[in-house]
Amino acid sequence: MKDKASLILKSFFSNLDLSEDEEKHFTSLWTLKSFDQYDIITEAESIERNFYIVLEGVQAIYVLNEKGEKVVLGFSYTGSPSGVFDSFVKGEPSKIFLEALKPSKLLVLCKQDYDEMFKNHFSFYKWGHLFFQDVLFDRLSREVELLTLTAEQRYVAFMKRCPEELKVIPQKYLASYLNMKPETFSRLRAANVY
Amino acid sequence: MAKLFLTPENQIQRLNIVLNNVKSLQELDTDVLTNVSIPDTWSIIEVLAHLNIAYGPYRNQLDEVIPKMTDSNEEQKPFRARPWQKMIIEMQRPKGTRRKWKMKTMKRFEPLLDRKNIIGKEKVKEIFREFFELHGHLKDSILKSRNKDVSKIKITSGIGPIVKFYPPESFEFLLCHLERHMVQIDEILNQQKVLTQ
Repeated sequence: MKDKASLILKSFFSNLDLSEDEEKHFTSLWTLKSFDQYDIITEAESIERNFYIVLEGVQAIYVLNEKGEKVVLGFSYTGSPSGVFDSFVKGEPSKIFLEALKPSKLLVLCKQDYDEMFKNHFSFYKWGHLFFQDVLFDRLSREVELLTLTAEQRYVAFMKRCPEELKVIPQKYLASYLNMKPETFSRLRAANVY
Repeated sequence: MAKLFLTPENQIQRLNIVLNNVKSLQELDTDVLTNVSIPDTWSIIEVLAHLNIAYGPYRNQLDEVIPKMTDSNEEQKPFRARPWQKMIIEMQRPKGTRRKWKMKTMKRFEPLLDRKNIIGKEKVKEIFREFFELHGHLKDSILKSRNKDVSKIKITSGIGPIVKFYPPESFEFLLCHLERHMVQIDEILNQQKVLTQ
């Protein structure tokens, strides 16, 4: 597990320019947290105090609509970052939930240590710049997909890039992410359009 | 009558809003918290003391029933409140930023703070501490019941055996009651602003 964690951290922060000691210190800042299936990791209207990297499992971020239904904004899975970033960055409560859809193991960096890294290591700024650039581009491309593609096109585009571990989560989450009814998702899956 | 579907996520989100609201009240001066601007009404701290008393009948019952509920391996589906219970819940739910109507508080839920003597900082602190402890328990109960079968065991409401709730109904009732009194606290603060202008 330790090896897997350090491999994932190395790959995720590959552009950090740290000495051997600094790297050791950086790795020591991360802790491991486990969550059962359907555990809420971060509650809406609370402050996200951690930056996560997924070691195992799948998680969803979602908001509740007026009817109280979950509207899925995104997923995290093995090797990807996770957390409620708007709350984490601003230090304010947000309307977003983070929930484990499968039993999950997450690497955790607390806000204080995250901020310290920016303060003490210039290369962390470079990492931060590239990281949030990626987040922005991903969100833009998703917005374009949601606004311009048909349900079938959205389904195909998603399935093309979807990692295998995400394909086994309950369909209603995938359907919500693609802004379609679970019945539509089910019909497209059955029709083998991808 | 429109159906009322209850989900633990919605309840947790609303409870967090209330908790954040009460946290911000902690920053107010004791004078503001204990001020009774209109005779025969409550101060903010009396409202909070009332909320603490109102949670009392639920605490032990929830502790008793939650361990008895069977685990459900599936994700909990929205729980549909029953008509009688829905009516009781809706009586509490505020409409936006106002209470639909005023209610007479049952004697046993009245906050019997000694108004003749000044309510000091320590007492205020104690009421806040108790509020967060009790409503932390409420959140814990909602979270614990998320992956349980909540449709088998009922608890008696604070009103008495005439109203029995399944746990999600009791959470909703308590939340609407909290939200109703948050509106009341806003009214008290607005009243104080008007009087000092």
